[in-house]
Amino acid sequence: MVFNTGAALLDAIVLAVVSMDAEGTYGYKITQDVRQVIEISESTLYPVLRRLLKDGCLEVYDMEYGGRNRRYYKITDAGTAQLNLYIAEWQTYAAKITNIFTGRGNYE
Amino acid sequence: MEMLERLLKDLPENERQEAVQYYNDYFDDAGPENEAQVIGELGSPAQVARTIREGMSENGEYTERGYEDARFRDSQELSSDCCEETLAGTSQKKKEHNPWKLLSILLLCLLLLPVIVPLCMIPLIIVAAVLIGIVGMFIGIGVAAVVLPFTGIIMIGSGFYNLFFSPGIGVTLGGVGCLLLSFGILVFLLAIWVFKTLIPLCIRCIVALIRYPLRKAGVVK
Repeated sequence: MVFNTGAALLDAIVLAVVSMDAEGTYGYKITQDVRQVIEISESTLYPVLRRLLKDGCLEVYDMEYGGRNRRYYKITDAGTAQLNLYIAEWQTYAAKITNIFTGRGNYE
Repeated sequence: MEMLERLLKDLPENERQEAVQYYNDYFDDAGPENEAQVIGELGSPAQVARTIREGMSENGEYTERGYEDARFRDSQELSSDCCEETLAGTSQKKKEHNPWKLLSILLLCLLLLPVIVPLCMIPLIIVAAVLIGIVGMFIGIGVAAVVLPFTGIIMIGSGFYNLFFSPGIGVTLGGVGCLLLSFGILVFLLAIWVFKTLIPLCIRCIVALIRYPLRKAGVVK
């Protein structure tokens, strides 16, 4: 992609992906879902998840799946609040950029 | 996976287990049919370990391009100004990359110094003791080879002289002298063999011993 995905946007995308499953989701699926929207190397997700976990935006629990324990990631209330903040920021940001691009020029 | 676990050995126990579990899950969920593709994407265990490690230092951030350290990015921009002041600032910034890590390494070295120094001394002392022992043995043989026949000759002479005053003592002295002389000649022959064969052999061994680590380090071919 031409445009870089910064750390905040990557956090927001990961939070959004995780929040889509109320029950929580797991590492491989998160990676595949994120990769649907942005190009990202598979090894990048682990540090991001780890950081979000440390910041209290995500929580983990282990659940049995196919005869083994699988680690699930679930969004916390703090994570939802953070995600809403990101979404609001993104909407104003995207709207301003779109305004410039479409030539209406009413950007303050 | 085992390799990854080994590479992360120095991380805190819980961090290591988290990471290993994550990648274990990852491979299990990807399924055996995707394993090759996942390995291709992830790169070597060393690369994965590096990403995990970098993720743990709080300064950097992850973007789609991978790891980025904001301070390094800043310093690169600063250095393009080509002004001495900012250049000094840059090196300053690079130096304080991880003061805690540097400090802890330094502290560890200091703490381990009383252990490392004696540990290094042990092989040195052993080598010195063996060398001194060997040299002492050679000197002993050499001295014995000279002194024994010499004493033998003197005793034979003295025995011959005593023969005229007290034949018993004279004969005893002469006999012991003869024994010493013959034994001395044997030792002398032994000494010649030692100096001709054994010493060059020892020197060759020592030289080979010294050369061995050097050759390993690629200094001497």
